[in-house]
Amino acid sequence: MTSIDLNDVSLVFRVRQNRRVALKDFIVNRMFLRSVNPFMEIRALQNINLQIREGDRLGVIGHNGAGKSTLLKLLGGIYPPSGGRLKVRGVVSSLFDLSLGFEPEASGWENIAYRGYLQGETPHSLRDKMADIAEFSELGDFLNGPVRHYSNGMLVRLAFAVATAIEPEILLVDEVLSAGDMAFQKKARKRMEDMIATARLIVMVSHDMQSLLKFCNRALWLDHGQIQMIGKPLDVIAAYTEAMNSPTIPLPAAA
Amino acid sequence: MSRYLKSIWKCRYFWISLVQMDLRNRYRRSLLGLGWSLLHPIAMTAVLCTVFSKVFGQDPFEYAPSLLVGLCFWNFITTSTKDGCQCLFQGEKYIRQFPAPMAIYPLRTVLGASFHFLVAMLVVLVLRFSFKGFGGLASLLSLGPTLMLLLVLGWSLAVLAAFSTAHFPDVLHLSEVGLQILFYATPIIYPANVLQQRGLGWLIDYNPLASYLHLLREPLLAGHWPEFNMILTAEMSTVFMACAAMLTLARCEKRIIFQL
Repeated sequence: MTSIDLNDVSLVFRVRQNRRVALKDFIVNRMFLRSVNPFMEIRALQNINLQIREGDRLGVIGHNGAGKSTLLKLLGGIYPPSGGRLKVRGVVSSLFDLSLGFEPEASGWENIAYRGYLQGETPHSLRDKMADIAEFSELGDFLNGPVRHYSNGMLVRLAFAVATAIEPEILLVDEVLSAGDMAFQKKARKRMEDMIATARLIVMVSHDMQSLLKFCNRALWLDHGQIQMIGKPLDVIAAYTEAMNSPTIPLPAAA
Repeated sequence: MSRYLKSIWKCRYFWISLVQMDLRNRYRRSLLGLGWSLLHPIAMTAVLCTVFSKVFGQDPFEYAPSLLVGLCFWNFITTSTKDGCQCLFQGEKYIRQFPAPMAIYPLRTVLGASFHFLVAMLVVLVLRFSFKGFGGLASLLSLGPTLMLLLVLGWSLAVLAAFSTAHFPDVLHLSEVGLQILFYATPIIYPANVLQQRGLGWLIDYNPLASYLHLLREPLLAGHWPEFNMILTAEMSTVFMACAAMLTLARCEKRIIFQL
């Protein structure tokens, strides 16, 4: 049984105004009791209460910087919550920052292995999937060469092929439907549809309202790190589009 | 704790393959391959041996292997610390995508350093057998626990270096200075008895690093079992460093992503 429970969860980034302070400055300034590097608090997520159950396909919408990707990373265990309780039951697989995380000197094959292992594969289980991943990426002989020679599109192809070779329980997707060129996008879409059909619980972030309507049975509108609305995709998207089009966008109280 | 160890074990294929890649990348760039990493300590040993065997009045055939052990041990300590400083940044791309335990990134650094160390120790063994014959072989058994101690020590150093560098960028530079000072406070190029004769014996008594050297040199070079109090010192220092590293992990691991 998979489920995600967020109980009054908040996430505060403490951004330093200067970049990191040298240890010697820190010690010297401390001696004179000066504040070394004032923090600036950014409330990325505030008082999120959310229950996601098995079978849910939750679409997350909102404008840039509303906290959508942060929410996914929190669910994926990358960021710890600053307050509240987060409980995730089930094995999480995530698709985000796809073109990051390659070893430039290693070959395509080796990079498939590194990512695969990180996703919990073993040499044994990966052996069966290797050919499938290579075929899906359509990179052919390029896989023998170091990844540093790959174009950005090729990297995305490779990453997408590895990341979607898993059979996920909980799937977190951040805007990956626009990966690669036209032909690949079509394939990627098909693969995503298969995954969405098999995963037991999905949270996806997208700006593509059409796919949200197609794939999701719930939708969440985030605004300035707070839940603005949650409900049926059609209702939420309608409200969101209306708010975006109307001249007076409802702004929450300044954080 | 056991859950944490289990999660490290679970992603073993990942960090093992990263270590393999590090080693491969390092050797791929040089024609001499494995010999390249040995060239530096061996050349240093040759140069220092020529000079200091005269200065300290040592038999070069005794002094050279002892020097080589010292230099390789020191190389292991500095590599663990200095590469440890970078290891979280090196693994940042994975940290940002997958919630794997942070302990594996320092582990990657230390396993690479251990590999070089082990290869160098094999050279020392060859030297020993050719210069001193096969006496006192049983004492070599004590090297097993010693190497485990060194592995834990190196990992702890790497963890501490990694997390402090993530907070303060000048830790790498400061640790270079600190290591330079420690280098001269540790009996690496001079034999321990030279200091004791000149009333500087306390430098060794209060330097835990000297105990690790003793644990390596006695069985490897003299064919003796190490002294009990030295074993105790090395064990206690290792436990202390490991506790510091684990506390750091427990306190900072979750939030370190905000510092990268």
